[in-house]
Amino acid sequence: MEMTDVTAVSRARDGDSDAFRLLVERHSRAIFRVAYRMTANEHDADDVVQETFLRAYRQIDRFEERANFSTWVHRIAINCSLDLLRARGRHDKHYGGDPSSEEMSAVIKTDDPQPDRLLLSAELQSHVARALERLSGNERTAFILRHFEGMPVEDIGKTLGIQVNAAKHTIFRAVRKLRESLEPFVRQNHATSD
Amino acid sequence: MQHLTEEDLVLLHYHEAETPAASEHLRTCDACRAQYDTLKRVLALVSEAPVPDRGPEYADQVWNRLRWRLDRKKRRTWQSLAAIAAVLAIAFVTGQWWEARQHHTTTIQPGVRSTVATPVAQSQSPAPDRLLILVVGDHLESSERVLTELANADPKKRLDLDGQQKRAQDLVVSNRLYRQSANDRGDQRMSSLLSDLEPLLVELANAPSTLTPEQVRAIQRRIEAQGLLFKVRLISAQTGGGESAPPPTGTSL
Repeated sequence: MEMTDVTAVSRARDGDSDAFRLLVERHSRAIFRVAYRMTANEHDADDVVQETFLRAYRQIDRFEERANFSTWVHRIAINCSLDLLRARGRHDKHYGGDPSSEEMSAVIKTDDPQPDRLLLSAELQSHVARALERLSGNERTAFILRHFEGMPVEDIGKTLGIQVNAAKHTIFRAVRKLRESLEPFVRQNHATSD
Repeated sequence: MQHLTEEDLVLLHYHEAETPAASEHLRTCDACRAQYDTLKRVLALVSEAPVPDRGPEYADQVWNRLRWRLDRKKRRTWQSLAAIAAVLAIAFVTGQWWEARQHHTTTIQPGVRSTVATPVAQSQSPAPDRLLILVVGDHLESSERVLTELANADPKKRLDLDGQQKRAQDLVVSNRLYRQSANDRGDQRMSSLLSDLEPLLVELANAPSTLTPEQVRAIQRRIEAQGLLFKVRLISAQTGGGESAPPPTGTSL
């Protein structure tokens, strides 16, 4: 029978490294995804994954068995990501304003429909990345936890150490900034696909 | 009902505060529905932001990098104790042997000194050998961890050595001592393995903190071409893998 996370944690606490390895196998790819979204950098995300499991191992005695290991380790990953971003001075980088006209024109600068679509896709990816970078650390984290991780606002407040209402407003700000940054591209994309 | 605010639309989208009144308004109000559609398209666009794929082997890569860090502290304590114990035991045995030798040389004629002293020395020599085997076994196990991590690194990516240079520096120092010792004892197999291992350890000790994909591939080719990992594992297993298992008969150093 397959070992549950709770059993694996319990065995890892007793020094069973194979049990901890099982937890790494189960959760490392999901942790990479959240770390990548937080840091927007592959190597940083790999580092966050390492650091997350290292911290989880060292703090495993603090894990409450009734809790969900995935949620717990995700929170560690979020904290590791925030630590890394703070260390690199990227945490408090704030929204840098609307996309420039050069950025806008770069989206539609060819008449050939097929390359245009490819270009659009690549450009859009870059604009989405840039729009996310323009969020403050808390906005980015709150948004990622809500949008990608499906975490309830109440839990987001706990993770960030802020009130529920503050967490809600942080998400509102993040969404508004994303909409302001990306709405022109969405409209353009929508128009060209019609 | 008044038009829905952007906050209302966000809450609706994330199912945080769905009310029948808001849903009904959205169904009947073109302006609000247009705003909601735009919001959904923006958020769908964000969802499409790609995340680099990490294949099924990723967990193994993570584990191989992680595992030696997990028990590093524990192992350091063990290694320190083992090293201290080895030094004390060697000193004790050498002292005993020296005292016995001195005792015999003072009670027999000079002409027969060597015939008496030699059996005493031989009877004492296996103890330090065994202790050295334990320590070199641990050295091989540490080296194996470094090699495994390199061999399993993604050859398409840069590799953060993550402080392994310091570890490699320590291994270079111990590797030289054990190689010299193996030479002195005529253990060709161990000496050859440590000689093969040393250039790679030196290179790692002097490497930058991050290896380029080309450097990673070059190191992986060397490990594979020389069969280094296999040899280290084989001899490490025969020496007891750094644990307290006794060495097989006939294995020196």
